[in-house]
Amino acid sequence: MTYQVEKKNKRKQKFESLIHHPYFGFIIIVFLMFFVQLIRLLGVDVSVSILRAFGSTMIFTIVALGFSILLGYGGLASLGTAGFVGLGAYALVYFTNTFPISIFLTVLIIIIGAIILGTVVGFISLRIEGMYLAIITLGLSEILNEVFKRATNITGGTTGVNIGGVILFKDVISINHNVVFIIISIILFIIMVLTLNIMKSPTGRALLAMRNSSSAAQAMGVSIFKYRLLAFIVTTVYAMLAGVLYMTYWSFTIPSTWSLGFSLNILVAVVVGGSQSIYGIILGTFMIFGLDLSVFKQIDFFVANPGITIVMNGILIIVVVMFYPGGLIKLVNAFGIKIKKIFLNWIKKWKEFKYGVDS
Amino acid sequence: MITTEGFWKSIILFTLLLAVIFIILRFTVLKRFKNMEKTMNITTNIMLAIGVTYLLYRVYHALPEGAETFLFLNIIFNSIVQICVLALSTTAIVLIFKTSTTTNFAQGMIATVGAFVAAKVIAHLVSVYTEMNATLVVLIAMAVGALTAFLLGVLIDVFIIRKAKYPTPIGKQMITMGLVLVLTGLIPIVFGTLPLIVNKLSYADNIKFTINDFPYSITVHAFYALLITIALLVVLFSLLRFTKWGLGVRATASNELVASMMGVNTRIITAMSWGIAGLLGGVAAVILAPNSGAIQVAIMLPTQVNSFLAAILGSFSSFAGPLIASIFIPVLTNLMSLIATTWQNAVVYIIILVIVLIKPSGLFGKPTAKKV
Repeated sequence: MTYQVEKKNKRKQKFESLIHHPYFGFIIIVFLMFFVQLIRLLGVDVSVSILRAFGSTMIFTIVALGFSILLGYGGLASLGTAGFVGLGAYALVYFTNTFPISIFLTVLIIIIGAIILGTVVGFISLRIEGMYLAIITLGLSEILNEVFKRATNITGGTTGVNIGGVILFKDVISINHNVVFIIISIILFIIMVLTLNIMKSPTGRALLAMRNSSSAAQAMGVSIFKYRLLAFIVTTVYAMLAGVLYMTYWSFTIPSTWSLGFSLNILVAVVVGGSQSIYGIILGTFMIFGLDLSVFKQIDFFVANPGITIVMNGILIIVVVMFYPGGLIKLVNAFGIKIKKIFLNWIKKWKEFKYGVDS
Repeated sequence: MITTEGFWKSIILFTLLLAVIFIILRFTVLKRFKNMEKTMNITTNIMLAIGVTYLLYRVYHALPEGAETFLFLNIIFNSIVQICVLALSTTAIVLIFKTSTTTNFAQGMIATVGAFVAAKVIAHLVSVYTEMNATLVVLIAMAVGALTAFLLGVLIDVFIIRKAKYPTPIGKQMITMGLVLVLTGLIPIVFGTLPLIVNKLSYADNIKFTINDFPYSITVHAFYALLITIALLVVLFSLLRFTKWGLGVRATASNELVASMMGVNTRIITAMSWGIAGLLGGVAAVILAPNSGAIQVAIMLPTQVNSFLAAILGSFSSFAGPLIASIFIPVLTNLMSLIATTWQNAVVYIIILVIVLIKPSGLFGKPTAKKV
């Protein structure tokens, strides 16, 4: 008897430890994405716009995760995100159209370029801080945007550029969006694990210390120089990687996508979702980039009045920032706890009803 | 003919030369001085002045011979409207930054609302009072639009920014970002989707005059715009300098908490700043709107980016610095469009970036000491 109970308890413990494993949620998210893709392949009518909404949410979550290390942990606000993501996208187009090299090599080159760019921006951040840094990075992003607009032989100017296919090993193969979707979800999983490990490691704690007070952090032996560069390098690498994924998934881009609006959207996604929580960032990114395509576009009323969705999004942002500075994830957590309490209360009442009150 | 051969090469070489000279000075001569930071500051200023002068000199010599002054002045006269718009919106952004310590991304959108209202008023006045003077119509519309933007600014501060629970600079930024979205969505709903047009202040013949036998001309619209801008800025700066409100703004800018403890009503001051910023923006939008036909929702966006850069170039801590920067940016952009066709914006942004990297506190700002 006791042996069976012990065994049952052990199994329960094992199950609980599995559920409480930090990667469990990530796996669930990735499997959900797989599932959506799978049922579409099996013939269930999932509309393309829902799939696209999930795809862009996943791609921009990568950008937002990098940004959260910068803002939520490093305390550095940057408005240059759009330029970096666009640079990644255009770099892929340039390399695929000019050199017949494998996409793996291309991505490697782009990542090396991102590290160099991140170092440069990191050096700038050592000299300029706060709101000034945000505006300077905005200037950097505008320069990149001008390049996207004017270098017409590479970027196709304001009319945009198409990517025909990617070179996997030797030959050009056309892009299969279903495969790209699955690749994106796998990369998102890797990035989430990586980000979590950065956040919960000494690096993350050093960044947090730097965010709260750079002088105090320096006094405790945290090298501002090292960690600022690191934060910017991580952000830039994530952003350019997301640019590459964006280009492979949408296979088309125009310069006006990568303007101030995009950087602000990423900033909003991170702040509204909750700048230090991975799930919060996913929630925020979905709210900004996915909600419109996946939910509102399915309802006739909102298709007829496209202005209202933007207004609602804006009001949501204002209300969340005004009353819930911790972000949406805090709200969701508080709500979850409340529901749990109500549920437990019901169970208690039912037990009282069934077995009678203890006296 | 414009000669651009060797132009960029010489500019880059000169910049590198200045950098090398500075580094050599830094490690040999300057470190012997007692008050090193001050001397360093003076040296950077001199170097910067030399660099900018050299740039202007090269630009001047790249222009066709004999007509340099003509082209130079012509460009300044042609960019009057841009200068006015940029000066107004930069002043507005600096005003809000001083009192609320946040960069207002909704500035352009509030201004655009003013322009839309002005367009509606113009349509109404033209249809009802057919005999009215065209300039008067636009002036009345401008006043109404600017007042609407004023009210909108005050309302935003009173009902949204002030009610925020834990206001941080980035939180306030987010709120203004949300406001951008709300206004972007609301404008087509409120004003309809029909194209609305703001007239120029005047369609009379250009004002012509000659300097040194070269003919110049300014559009009457630009002339009126210049007059309005100068009048507004003079009034604003004298208010800031000589009234109690101005003293309050300066006190709030230096420390809001202490100012409120000293009996300054910071609430009214902040609300008024938001209102005045809206008013300046509204006037700017009405001046800018006729240049592009029907008004678009995103009409003020490039101006807004430029005014952030102007504010940072001139330093947020002063009012005159951003004003000078907002004259500098359009003139330089138009000059560069002669030399680097279609790349002028990128070149100007890079120049601004380099200057700000050399002087992080802006051209006219004092470096602030950080408290621990």
